[in-house]
Amino acid sequence: MAEGLADKMIRVDMTALTATTEPFPAAWRLLGGRALSARILRDECDPKCDPLGPGNVLVLAPGVLAGTSAPTSGRISVGGKSPLTGGIKEANAGGNPGQDLQKLGYRVIVVKGKPADPDKRYGLEVDATGVRVVPADDTKGLWNYALCERLYQRYPQSASFMSIGPAGEMQLSGASVACTDEKGRPARHAARGGLGAVMGSKGLKYVAIDAGKLAVRSPAVRKDFFAYAKEYTKAYQAGPQMFKWGTSSVVPVANMLNTFPYKNRTEGQSPDAATLDGKRIVESFETRGGGMHNCMTGCIVQCSNVVHDKDGNYKTSALEFETLTLLGANCGIASWEDVADLDRLCDELGLDTIETGAAIAIYMDSGGMEFGDAEGAKRILREIAEGTELGRAIGNGAVAIGKKRGHERVPVAKGQALPAWDPRPLKATGVTYCTSPMGADHTAGLIINPGMPPTEYARASQESQLANAACDSSGFCQFLQPNMEDIAKYYSLYTGENVTREQIAEMAWQCLADEWAFNDGAGFTAADDRLADCLVEEGVGPNHGMKFDVPADIIAAAKQRFEPREELYKLKATG
Amino acid sequence: MPTLVIPPPYRGPTQGRDRIEVAGRSVRECLAAADALHPGLLAMIVDAGGALHRFNRLFRNGDPLQGDVLAAPLADGDELELLSAIAGG
Repeated sequence: MAEGLADKMIRVDMTALTATTEPFPAAWRLLGGRALSARILRDECDPKCDPLGPGNVLVLAPGVLAGTSAPTSGRISVGGKSPLTGGIKEANAGGNPGQDLQKLGYRVIVVKGKPADPDKRYGLEVDATGVRVVPADDTKGLWNYALCERLYQRYPQSASFMSIGPAGEMQLSGASVACTDEKGRPARHAARGGLGAVMGSKGLKYVAIDAGKLAVRSPAVRKDFFAYAKEYTKAYQAGPQMFKWGTSSVVPVANMLNTFPYKNRTEGQSPDAATLDGKRIVESFETRGGGMHNCMTGCIVQCSNVVHDKDGNYKTSALEFETLTLLGANCGIASWEDVADLDRLCDELGLDTIETGAAIAIYMDSGGMEFGDAEGAKRILREIAEGTELGRAIGNGAVAIGKKRGHERVPVAKGQALPAWDPRPLKATGVTYCTSPMGADHTAGLIINPGMPPTEYARASQESQLANAACDSSGFCQFLQPNMEDIAKYYSLYTGENVTREQIAEMAWQCLADEWAFNDGAGFTAADDRLADCLVEEGVGPNHGMKFDVPADIIAAAKQRFEPREELYKLKATG
Repeated sequence: MPTLVIPPPYRGPTQGRDRIEVAGRSVRECLAAADALHPGLLAMIVDAGGALHRFNRLFRNGDPLQGDVLAAPLADGDELELLSAIAGG
């Protein structure tokens, strides 16, 4: 492996309240992030376990290149059995924890067990002196921002944190794991699949990682690695920089393509696209401050916006396209400022904005409140913290609130709410939602090509799933859009081994195979590879004619391996 | 004739076609011709006021067009590539 620190891993037993370190297995040296999480869960977690029981395994795995000087490479994967889907889950986040763990030489944290007393809270400390489980009852119930303020009084300013809010402590299925960004704010979330609830079930309120002044990890082929990183950065900065103004700038195009869901996905376009357009946020920078920043050290994409209120005070970061869609248009809420408030509340409570937005829209659609009632939506989010019956149902996600309300229009795949990108105009993306081990997750394999012939859906979905699995294992952000050739070159220069693009493709396939095997063990069958009926029966677009009508054999084909072709290795990750 | 290169997000109106040969001596004329062949395409490229949508960029033979891009001349054999700032979210 790379020069310098020996690779290690951390094992945490939350039953015995102990943390130990051991050498990182050499056989896993090229595994990181999502692929490492999948391998550990396949080997060490019973797929039939209770997701909130002691048998579930929580994996915190930085990508292979996290902690190096490769640009935009510090992402971390959070993995486990999902309480939302009942299957395997990997949620990926930016911020600094992934880089800090790697700088300390830790390739992964594996958390097992569960404390005897569910009312106790604990923290995990990771620094150059070692690893420790410490009591943290004083942090019980704290919202994420207040928690991090308190933690920065206790730990050095150089520390980064992973934490859960009240939603995780209540073990709600929409709960996220927050990661602090470069400014120490808990604004980057491993959001999907309820992994915050898994962390909460283990009594783990936070992980504090302090790499102090440790330098970035040293690659095996130093000079060439640095030269390649420089060349790569230059090429990116000379390109179109699609995320220069953040993902929220996609709103008008998505609306045009009928993939800006409105009122619980009954329409594909919103009449409020102009007021939810990210351009409005960019305009606010002029008078209020805020602006674009990098969510983690060394990021060259800088897609993350910092949103201020009318008085110029920090409100939230980042207000993303997905959030503007699910908590905005999909709830009939027209103002981006209201969505910013809702985003902040979700970050505070530790909730996935996609799942929560979908759940509120279903509540509205079922007559629980009027579409567009922004203040009502904020009130519901506060109810989640109070633990009311309604709050818990919303916090448990789309399926839970649908059941509670007896409502049939529940747009999900494998129990997880659909993200903004709609499978009716984007059918190959729908094939991803059906077949990905993750359920409806655009970061698993997004294909924005509404004119694609049906004969290409299966291969396009599979290739996109492979490209994204490779990216999410490397530590690179999908918005940097690396392909397998890029990743192979970085791995080669970092490790000193000759890592080929074919090896990267093989590891990506093995990642999917491990995840599908886990889901098979959990009881999933081909019958689960489908979208909710409302997406098949109800259309969007002109005359509501765009429906998800992809035949089952095409969907099934996406899980049968295609012979790799040249295009696979050059396909950019996109999510 | 010039060739218009269509990015994946805009291939709905073209039924998946990624390249279209279109007659015209300017970008504006070529886009109008493309829309006549594939109705709905033009609305994805220009706004109601007839200006290029802010999330689109046009490249002629690999070089970005600047200024009044719709008035830019095109010659036989030119390649007009459309790029849309849309990915992920």
